[in-house]
Amino acid sequence: MSELIVENLAKHFGEVRAIDGISFTVAEGEFLTLLGPSGCGKSTTLFAIAGLDTPTAGVIRVGGRTFFDGGQGILVPPEKRNCGLVFQSYALWPHMTVMDNLAFPLRIRKVSAADRKRRITTALELVEMGEYIQRFPHELSGGQQQRVALARTLVFEPALLLLDEPLSNLDAKLRIKARNWLKELQQQLGITTIYVTHDQIEALALSDRIAVMNKGSIVQLASPQEIYTRPSGAFVADFIGSSNFLRGRMKQRNSDGDAEVILESGLLVRTIWAPDVKEGTEVLVAVRPEHIRLTAAQPIANGANLLTGCITARSYLGARYQYTIDAAGTSIMVETEDSLDQPEVYASFDPEHAVVVLP
Amino acid sequence: MVSLPIPAPLPLPIARPSGKDDRFSRALFIQSLVAVATVILVAAPLAPVLWQSLIDRPLYEVGGLFTAENYVRLLSDAGFYKVVWNSLLLAFETTVVACVLGVAFAIFLERTNLPGRRALRAVVLWPMYISHLVIAFSWFVMYGPSGYITLLSEHWFGGALWNLYTIPGMAVVAGTGAAPLVYLFCASSAKAADATLEDAGRMMGAGSLRVIWSISIPLMRPAIIYSSLLIFIGSLEMLSVPLVFGRPVGLEFFTTFLYSRGLGGITPDYGLLGAAAAMLLVIISVLLAIQGLLLRNAGRFVTVKGKAQRRKLADLGPARWPLFVLFLIYNIVILGIPLVGIVTRSVTTFLTPLMAPLDLLTTDNFTLLFAYPAYVRSMTNSLVIATLGGAIATAFVAMVTLVVHRSEFRWRKQLEYVALYPRAVPGIVAGIGLFWAMMLLPGVDLLYGTIWILILAFTMRSIPTAFGAISPAMLQIGRELDQSARSCGADWWKTSRTIVLPLLKPAIFGAYVLLFLSFLKEYSSAVFLFTPGSEIIGTTMLSFWANGDTGPVAALSVIQLVITALFVFVARLLLRGHHDV
Repeated sequence: MSELIVENLAKHFGEVRAIDGISFTVAEGEFLTLLGPSGCGKSTTLFAIAGLDTPTAGVIRVGGRTFFDGGQGILVPPEKRNCGLVFQSYALWPHMTVMDNLAFPLRIRKVSAADRKRRITTALELVEMGEYIQRFPHELSGGQQQRVALARTLVFEPALLLLDEPLSNLDAKLRIKARNWLKELQQQLGITTIYVTHDQIEALALSDRIAVMNKGSIVQLASPQEIYTRPSGAFVADFIGSSNFLRGRMKQRNSDGDAEVILESGLLVRTIWAPDVKEGTEVLVAVRPEHIRLTAAQPIANGANLLTGCITARSYLGARYQYTIDAAGTSIMVETEDSLDQPEVYASFDPEHAVVVLP
Repeated sequence: MVSLPIPAPLPLPIARPSGKDDRFSRALFIQSLVAVATVILVAAPLAPVLWQSLIDRPLYEVGGLFTAENYVRLLSDAGFYKVVWNSLLLAFETTVVACVLGVAFAIFLERTNLPGRRALRAVVLWPMYISHLVIAFSWFVMYGPSGYITLLSEHWFGGALWNLYTIPGMAVVAGTGAAPLVYLFCASSAKAADATLEDAGRMMGAGSLRVIWSISIPLMRPAIIYSSLLIFIGSLEMLSVPLVFGRPVGLEFFTTFLYSRGLGGITPDYGLLGAAAAMLLVIISVLLAIQGLLLRNAGRFVTVKGKAQRRKLADLGPARWPLFVLFLIYNIVILGIPLVGIVTRSVTTFLTPLMAPLDLLTTDNFTLLFAYPAYVRSMTNSLVIATLGGAIATAFVAMVTLVVHRSEFRWRKQLEYVALYPRAVPGIVAGIGLFWAMMLLPGVDLLYGTIWILILAFTMRSIPTAFGAISPAMLQIGRELDQSARSCGADWWKTSRTIVLPLLKPAIFGAYVLLFLSFLKEYSSAVFLFTPGSEIIGTTMLSFWANGDTGPVAALSVIQLVITALFVFVARLLLRGHHDV
């Protein structure tokens, strides 16, 4: 019953369009991430769903209830939406103990004292914070505060769980731990979740689907695998991971999406996916640095695409090396475990790892 | 991770599918109530003044016609120009005295190695706690034409060295009293200034005094502009000093003009009074607008950085001890001697260098105060007004602050302007206005003769002070703390009550301390509003003064000083306990 529907949602500040008419649906129990650079409108969207930000136009519906309808002038205040929002700063009330923080939403819902105690205990054990029940927020570490904030949100069984970059204030190691833990918890509870982040790794690791946003619009909405392997455009290809872009013209594309592109250098490149565009259209071939092999000798022809170039820069990253290759005037980044000394190299990549995107 | 049974979903208490009904929520009701109350409170004294200034007969008579006659009469009166000129001159001279002293305090006490600066910082603030009326009386007792010190100096030097019955003399009394305010603003600006700006100056080869002169003082410019306009406005609306030192020699000022025309005659000239009050309002409003404009571009002086800095203090070298002595003498002269004087006067029948005070000791002044119910009442009334009225006003302004800073109320910006406007309303004008409002408005006349009308007037006057004390603390509370409460299901009022207001406790207590002290000191808006039964210390002092009874005036001053000192002491203790929460 808690499917979220967002239709043509827009938020304008005068001429500036913070959200520019976006639509998406989140199925019951699904984990959707809004991913994008800062200022792309992802947090504004989340706050609009929570009711803390009033959109200019559009519709927000959860499980059959209309939260917002710009056309009909419907605006449900945040307190009547039953959405659980976890803030980036956790927003634990500093003058209340962990216990009182969790009891607050239950008191409002007039839950009996006995039931309240049971639910608080359950929620705190769920986030493994049972023993901290009498502490004040300032007596907890960042990671512990984050867990309590989540428990405070889960304790009243919200229809939607909204998370605004909840891991961004944790240190790198703790973030990975918390990420795995959050994923498990969400699957166990089966709660519909909207997650906002600018961290692509978090988005890839956690989400059922990712909505990549840029300048107030959704650029691509798909599963993590698809976003990574079939980016819909140069923005997505570069924002999720990083990509080399080789400039060229479409030569031919068959119905499966396989395509051949002639690069500016005249070289032919085969790819396994391209959008449906006319022959001769200017396109970019996106290849990720970790998918390019570098060899000193010319590799045996095996259907891979092959470029030649010379190394112009190299840096040691610990587990691997990063090379900058100049291939006929185009600069290409490559990440590989192999150490190469000579300047002249062959760079090859499989058609499976090359996709065509529009510039 | 352990799998735990998840309890069944909770029903929300109210889950409306449509938001239509929410438009008339509890939040909107409370917010509107606060806004309407603020507007009424601020407009109640202003509207009658403006109205009266434009009609041809007293405003309680029916059939008034619009006319500009009042203004014409006022402006064609040559005496009135003298009044305006005197007021502006006094305000200007007071501002100069206060600014020079205040900036000097800020420099020497905050930026140099003056000995004993820690103690001096507290001492120079003391005049702020004391009522202007008490300051004026104390100076009169010691430095007035027949004051103790004046007579001594005449005895020694054969003539009076000063005359406080002049505008420069009055400017010294008022300016030394106002200097702490300038010091406060400049000191906080001096503390907040980026130390690297001064270090940069020093690197270029400037000596430390040179740095103070060419970098530190210019950086204080916004604080100086702000506080000097504040002092200027403050002295325009000041009644005490002009009344005590100007009236005996016929020097009239805006406030004494209103005071004598309003209370003097059997039937005051309503139109003239209205027009003069309206003009004072306009002048001060314009000054406040100028202050706003001047400070709009203050950005280039924004020097506040988040980091705490250790700053270097300028070395005064061998001059430090003479300067310390100078500071000591200053405080003794402007604060110590007048206070000793007023205390001595309160326990003697007479104060003169010709006779030893010990021979004149008496308790009559205090006995008199406790012998008559009217005098006792003025003290209990003052205490009740300060304690209870201060609390009511604090609670009310806390609500106004909440609506302005923490609500979706549509008119919250406008409400802020209304709430801050009383800065432009002199106490005496507020008193006249409310007095007239009582004649016009049904219901308000029920308050006449009670202390409630005084509480209303004082509350109206103190909204900006309390608003300024609570606002910064409220803005420091992260918005997500209320947002998270809202998304947990609490409405605006529940959020305000359980999250925002509890977090504001220290700031609200601080505002209460300020209001208690200002309610205890306030007298100028009361002179038109009090009646037998609702006297306060200030009005009783004024009536003793009018009869030339200096003894009871001194005794009442001492009582007010004692109450103030006790209250400040207790408040400090309580605030200290609060800091570790």
